[in-house]
This record gives sequence, C-alpha cells and structure tokens, in this order.
Amino acid sequence: MNGDSHADLLQPPSNIEPTVLERTASHYTPLPTYQLPKGEHRHYQQQYADMYFARLAQLKPAVEQIASEAWADFEIGGETASRKDRVLDVRQGELCWVAGTVYMEMPLKPNVLEDIGKEHWIAAPPPRVKYDTGVGLGGDSERGAHAGGGKGLAGAQIMLEDESGRLRLTGGYLSGGLLVTGAIVAVMGTENSDGDFEVLDLRVPDLPRQPPRWETEDGDAALQGKSVTKKRPSSGKVAIISGLGVSGVEGDTLLLDLLLEYLLGESTDPASQQQAASISRLIIAGNSLSHSSPIPSREELAAATKKGGRKTYGYDSASYNAAPTDHLDQWLATLLPSIPITLLPGEQDPTSTSLPQQPIHAAMFPHSRAYMNPPTAPEGPGWFDSTTNPAEFSADGWRFLGTGGQPVDDVYKYLPDCEERLEMMEAMLRWRLTAPTAPDTLWCYPFQDGDQFVMKECPHVFLVGNQPKFETTVVEGPLGQQVRVLAVPRFKETGELILLDCETLVPEIVRFEVLDEG
Amino acid sequence: MAQDYAEWLAINVLNEQQLVSYRSLSRALKVHSNLAKQMLYDFHHKQNAKKPGTVHATYLITGIKRTERPATNGTHSQRDGEDTVMQSSPLLPSSSALKPGEHDDETPNAVQTVMLVKQESLELAKAKFESITGIHIYSLQAKGLGDIQSLTECNRKIAVDYASEDPLEVWKQYGTIQNPDVKRRTQRRQPPPPPAPVAKAAVAKAKPPVPTAKPTTLKKEGSKDSEEAGPASNTSAKAPTEPARKPPTNKRQSSDIFKSFAKGKPKTKTEQESQDSAGSTPKAAPDDEPIAGFSDEEDADEGDADIIEEAPKAVDGKSKKEREAELQAMMEQEDEVMEDAAGVEPDHAEADVDEGAIDKPDPQAEEPKEIVQVESGRRRGRRRVMKKKTVKDEDGYLVTKEEATWESFSEDEPAPKRIKVPTTTSMSKSTTAAPGKKGAKPGGGNIMSFFSKK
Repeated sequence: MNGDSHADLLQPPSNIEPTVLERTASHYTPLPTYQLPKGEHRHYQQQYADMYFARLAQLKPAVEQIASEAWADFEIGGETASRKDRVLDVRQGELCWVAGTVYMEMPLKPNVLEDIGKEHWIAAPPPRVKYDTGVGLGGDSERGAHAGGGKGLAGAQIMLEDESGRLRLTGGYLSGGLLVTGAIVAVMGTENSDGDFEVLDLRVPDLPRQPPRWETEDGDAALQGKSVTKKRPSSGKVAIISGLGVSGVEGDTLLLDLLLEYLLGESTDPASQQQAASISRLIIAGNSLSHSSPIPSREELAAATKKGGRKTYGYDSASYNAAPTDHLDQWLATLLPSIPITLLPGEQDPTSTSLPQQPIHAAMFPHSRAYMNPPTAPEGPGWFDSTTNPAEFSADGWRFLGTGGQPVDDVYKYLPDCEERLEMMEAMLRWRLTAPTAPDTLWCYPFQDGDQFVMKECPHVFLVGNQPKFETTVVEGPLGQQVRVLAVPRFKETGELILLDCETLVPEIVRFEVLDEG
Repeated sequence: MAQDYAEWLAINVLNEQQLVSYRSLSRALKVHSNLAKQMLYDFHHKQNAKKPGTVHATYLITGIKRTERPATNGTHSQRDGEDTVMQSSPLLPSSSALKPGEHDDETPNAVQTVMLVKQESLELAKAKFESITGIHIYSLQAKGLGDIQSLTECNRKIAVDYASEDPLEVWKQYGTIQNPDVKRRTQRRQPPPPPAPVAKAAVAKAKPPVPTAKPTTLKKEGSKDSEEAGPASNTSAKAPTEPARKPPTNKRQSSDIFKSFAKGKPKTKTEQESQDSAGSTPKAAPDDEPIAGFSDEEDADEGDADIIEEAPKAVDGKSKKEREAELQAMMEQEDEVMEDAAGVEPDHAEADVDEGAIDKPDPQAEEPKEIVQVESGRRRGRRRVMKKKTVKDEDGYLVTKEEATWESFSEDEPAPKRIKVPTTTSMSKSTTAAPGKKGAKPGGGNIMSFFSKK
C-alpha cells in the first residue's frame, strides 16, 4: 500500500514543505434583472392582468415572425392560412393562424375564491402533485390521489387568450404537447362548429439572441472607457449546489462538513486538493434552510389551532429557532475566506415568498456579513453575493440564469404524464419565460411596466435547483444558440455537488457519502 | 515537532477519549492539514502495533466508484420511449437533444465520490471503488465510533475554540486554499453596537468635564479588562467586561427590565465624576454603563458562541451569580448591593447625585442647558419644564404663576418638543421641584431612585 501514490497520506509525516494552493480567480458580474425597487417604490396596487398584456406585447412580434415564416406557404385543400390579429377574429371554416397566451383551466388548480371562502388565505395552499384529475401513470402509486386511468388532458381545458377574448382550443395535436398557462404561442387551424378552434400546428417564440461570451464585461468596460481586454485568463470551475436543507436538527450535518472541507482544500489527497483549487465560485441555488419560509403551511396552521393555543397570524416570535440560520451562517463564514459565494433563495428560505424572491437580508448572516457589500455603498459585486431568485449573472464571461426550482416545479404540476424535467426546462427556454405560470399559480410581484420574467437574452447556462436528481443536456436554438441546462439535485438527499467547467461548460459531479454499514 | 504530536494525540485520544479529526490536530499544532493526516496515520499505526484495537480510525476515500447502472446520465427513467417522443417533438420543433436514443450515446458525466468510512468497513468501501485517487485518515478515537454523525462535533468544536483566529491570516498554515481576491469589510464580526455611538452622542452633548472623564473611564476600564481578563475580582470583573463587551456583542438591545435593575450597579471609577458639580449628567453616564453592562452580561450569560474573547467565558459564571445576588439584594436594601459590588463610596456617590439634583440650587443654576441623552431609544436627562405654582398672596388671593423648573425625564419615544423658556420667569428653587419629582416619576424611569435615600 505504501507504494501507491494514492496512499501518500497513509504514512508517517514527511518533512516536505507542503505547497500553499491558490484558488483560480472568478470573474463575476451580477445583473439586477430581478431586483425589485425597495420600500415605498414597490407598489402592489396594480392588477396582474397587466402582466399578461405586457408579456404578450413583448413576445408577440417574435412568435409571429416565426409563425409567418413557417406557415407562409402552408396549404390545405388549396387554402392558405391567413393571419388574424385578434383571437376573436377567427371565422368558422376558415384556415388561419393567430397568436395569444395559453390559459389552462384545470380542476385542481388553486382557486383563490375557494381559499378565501374557507379562510385558508393565511397559509400556503396544499401542495398538489399535479393539477389534473384522473390522470396518472396507470397505477403508479406515486401519484396518490391522482392515480387513475386515462392519459391525456382529461378534465383540463386549454384556451388561447389575448386582449380581445378567449378561444377554446381542441384537437388531437394538443394532447401530445407541452403547454402551460402563460406561454405565448401561435396556433394554426380552423374554427369548428362548436366554436372551438381546432389546432393543426403550433409555434413558440424559441430562444432569444444569445450574447457571446464576455459580452457583459466587455460592454461594461467599453462604457466606462476602459480598453476592452482581448485576452482573458482561463477560467476554473464553478461549483453548484442546492437544497442544503440546514435545519436545527444536528443529526444530518456530516455531509455539509465533508463538503466544506473539500471546498476549502483541506480534506482529500493533494491531487484532489489541486482540483478543488480550480473551483472559483460556489453557487447555492435555493433551499439552504429547510424550514424557514415565513408562510406557515396548512398543516402547521391546523396543528397550531388544534393545540388550542392563541392563533397567531403569521409569526410567533417565541417559537423562533435561530439554530438553523446560525449554523448556515457559520458554514458560509468558514467558506468565504477562501471562495466567493452566490446565494439564491429558495422556497423554504426566509425571504419573500412571491417571485422574484429578493435577496436574503444581511441581517441573517452576522458572520458572513463582513464579506458582503455595505448596503449604502455597493461598489461592484460583493464577495458574498446574496441575490434574487431567479437570478441572472455573468460568471467567467458566461451568462447564467438560475432559479431555486419553483418555476419548474410549478410547470411540472401542469403537465400530466410528464416526468421529464429537462423537457420542461427546455420548454421554458423556448417560451422565453423564466416563470411561465406566474402569476397564475405561482405567486409573483405584479409587474406594471413589463414582464420581468421574459428572457431578453439567451443564457449560456440555465440552472434550476432543488430537483430530484441530476440531469443535464444542451439545448440548441435556431440561430445557433447553445444552452447548457442543469437540473441540480438536492444536496441533503443526494450529497451531490456539480462542478461546471467554465471553459467547456461540461458538468461533472462530486458525490459525498458516508458509509454507515457495519 | 515529531514528539509533540504523538504526545498530544496520546493525551487527547487515549487519556481524554476525545474524537480528534485531522482538522482539530492541524489547528491545535498549527500544522498543514496534510501533515496532520500523516501524523494521525503514524500514531494509529504505532499504537495499534503496540496494542491492537486501542485506536480506531475513520477514513476518507476519494475516487471513482463502480457504476451500478449502465446509464448514469439519468434523463431516462424506465418508461416507454413513446411518450417522450410524442411530447417533446411537435411543440418544440428544434428540440435536438431530447430524442431518446441520443442519451445512451452521450458519455455519462464524470462522478467523483468522496466517502467517509469507519475502519471496520474500509475494505468493503474500497471494493466499491473502481479507482481510488486518495485515502487518508479522517479522525481517530479511542473506542469504536458509535454514531458516525458524531464527527460533526469535531468541526463544531473547532469553530468554537478557534473563533478568535482571523481566517485570512492564520488559515494559510492549515492548508486552506488561499484566495488573493477576497474582500472583507474592516468590521470584524459584528457591526458596531448601537449603545456605543449612542453613548458617545450623549457624551458629546454633556458638559466638557464629563466627556473627558467618561472616555478616560472607558479607557481605564479597557486596560483593566486586559489585565484582569481571567478570574478577576467580582467588582472589577463586571465593570471591565462591560466596555470590552460593548463592541462585540451588542446585537441585542438590553431589555428595559434590566435597565431598571441596573441602577443599583456601582461604577468603580465614577466617584470622581459623581462628585462633580454637574449633578445629573454623570448620573446619566453611569446609568449608561451599568445598563449596557447588564445587557452585555445578559448576552454573555446566554453563552453566545459568537463572542470572540475567551474572557467572557471565564467571567460568565461569576457575573450571573453576581447578578442574581444583586437582584435579590435589591429587593431589600440598596446599601447591601452597593457594598457587595464596590464599596460604599459609589453608593454615597449615587445618593449624592440624587441629592445634588434636589438640594443644590447653586449647581443647578449652572446648568442652563438641557441635557438629553439617548440610550437605546430612551431619552433621559434633565430638562426645563414649565410648572404652574399656586400661592396665596398677601391679600389672600390665589395666584398661579408659571415657572420654569428642572426635572429629570425619560422618554420611550423621541422626546416631545422642548418647552420654550420665557425670559421673565425665574428659576424656582428646588423645593417645588422636589415634591414634583418625587411624586411624578421616580428619577428618570429607574425604580431604584425610589428606594434611594433622600
């Protein structure tokens, strides 16, 4: 054993002076796309319908261009498809195409009127696996209440909507499809005798323009009058993790310790330490705490009222347990001297519950706070960047778009029979929407001037946290765009850390395990 | 150094039966982590050669595990390929990567595994690996490890024991990856606490002698703290830890309840201040410090691990005991409390201060200015107030006069608008002030002034 190089550390201390490793530098520019105005500038009086209209206005030109290219010379029985401006302009028997917003009516969707009626408005709605009834994988017990016969969109109605009105869509074409409320599409077909629109073909806006690498940094430099550097040093890797799930319970933090030591370069052998030194940044994509959302779930509220105690609306300060945030703060503060961190909040983190979630406040991190920018004078990105969810930033020149997982989880609920989360992510990219189902079933801020969730530029890396397992693929666009899509698994369950090489954009996994047998 | 680690390990692992990880060893002996791992191996090897089974180890294996399933790139679940095709292709015309066949051709992503195992399972674990990049000892313990999760204890201990070390300076020796670009703000751990700037603001408003005395007090006590960090005498233990504690710990505002108890606490160095002619301001100044001191002790008592100095730890027990004794004594006689703390002098000083407020008109006349101090949101001090006085005239008429008097006040909210002083009225003597003061608000919101001798 002593001869193998891997057992170098299994020998008595040698007198060789160990080398001090230095970490690869990280070039980082956060973009304020999802930051909401603070304080009194944030208004909630506006209607959510404005968001839909804004979204349609922003995406209609793109989808109509694609649609007109595709159907310009489409003929059925001598008839060409004509373009209709408004959804209600379709005429019976006439072949035409029109663009609008998809709206899906599903029986199990959360209904705000129902909730208010039952006085459930204070707690989060009950989690649903899927919003559709009677749909399941034919006996697959994972579906629970939704198990049953039938495939397809039983019980759901799909409609196309714009400023003028709504049009019900039918046709066998739709059952093969991926559609959720809020997607902007163009459909071609004809109106049948029932007044429904039979769909023959469908088009989506597809990927937007993708900026070349380093465009953000070069653009900034040009604006500031500095010379645009042609030569950039080679980048290292970016570590991505999600779902740390720090709770006050101490029984499950060994994996976190192992991860900490690996990233600091203290554990493992010198070869792996060298590899760890090439990790230039850590991105935490949501759910760092396991139970800290300010909105109590329905079960919690029921338990609280059942106990007969005072029904405290929202927050009972006596029951606050500081242990999880303290632990997370210590963990981050131990990592920060060595590696910069970008923290995205998730569904269970102590910040706003509606998208876009605002950054977790510095007050939650008394130790790590020293590495953050002072609130009054933010000069450049902070070493510890607590950012929004979803978040857009440029790391090592590549444009990253990350979410904590809520949009994808919500899209998942709309699609019966579909377990392919990568497909949903690809669909979201092609619809150009970071959160298509907001504001329908996903709580969000009522944007007034424009839908912030519309992707204006195509990212290079689209990462989604808190997914059940690690998945990755490359999505290609019509103009040659290439997007690396990453589904980041929950660390607490899988112990997996993703390392994304910033030169090739190929991910690899480091899995931490504790062997507990014997 | 060769002998040191064997000794250190012998003490900690064998004698004290502690769990020692390579990180704890590296911090204790200030060595590089890799060196610490080798030391652990050496010790383990030698001890078990002497007497097998004395020392148990856990190992950390890094490498590539044997793949269990053929397709590790998990986009494919075990479902019909049909559904996948139908759903993806029509609506996403340029979907290129989602045809089921392709995934099997893509090379699965590289998975590196870092596994922690107990020594009993080492061979079993090694068998799971296809190739191993490294193995090293993670920790040593005297008996077998029951729950492997208890290894988190090592890191927790490190965080507590070595919290005072500045990572940017000392971690280089432990082998942590250094980052030349790290940016950190100058404030170390916690931001400057509100009472310190507040107290400074109060000082700024006070008269000149007091500000000079107060900072010197702070300085003196600061130096006192450094001298008597460890087991100090009761009295000085309290006082020095207060200003020292003020910078690091005042995250929490002192609860108001302790503020009122704090009046009874002495100030060792404020005798000279209290005998100063300016009566009220030094009274308020010691108010600040004991009050803040109480809150700091309260913080210390909660055993906050965030506190950097180790001194607080040593003083914890005493101050808590102290405080409890004080609270009890307070219920009886204030004198006893005073003696318990620092002797009778401060007590007299306090009493003097109170009396000074009431019975010394001349010094009173010297303070035309309003003194307002803000402490934790409360404004307290002396202010000029218009009071109505009804006297019987020679002719038997009742005459009501408005006069400006001084009284001490304490506000929870920012003080209301100050009352303008008319030029003609005279300063009334303290006789009117005294009954007013006694009855209305016992001196600045502290219950203790109610008990003080007048």
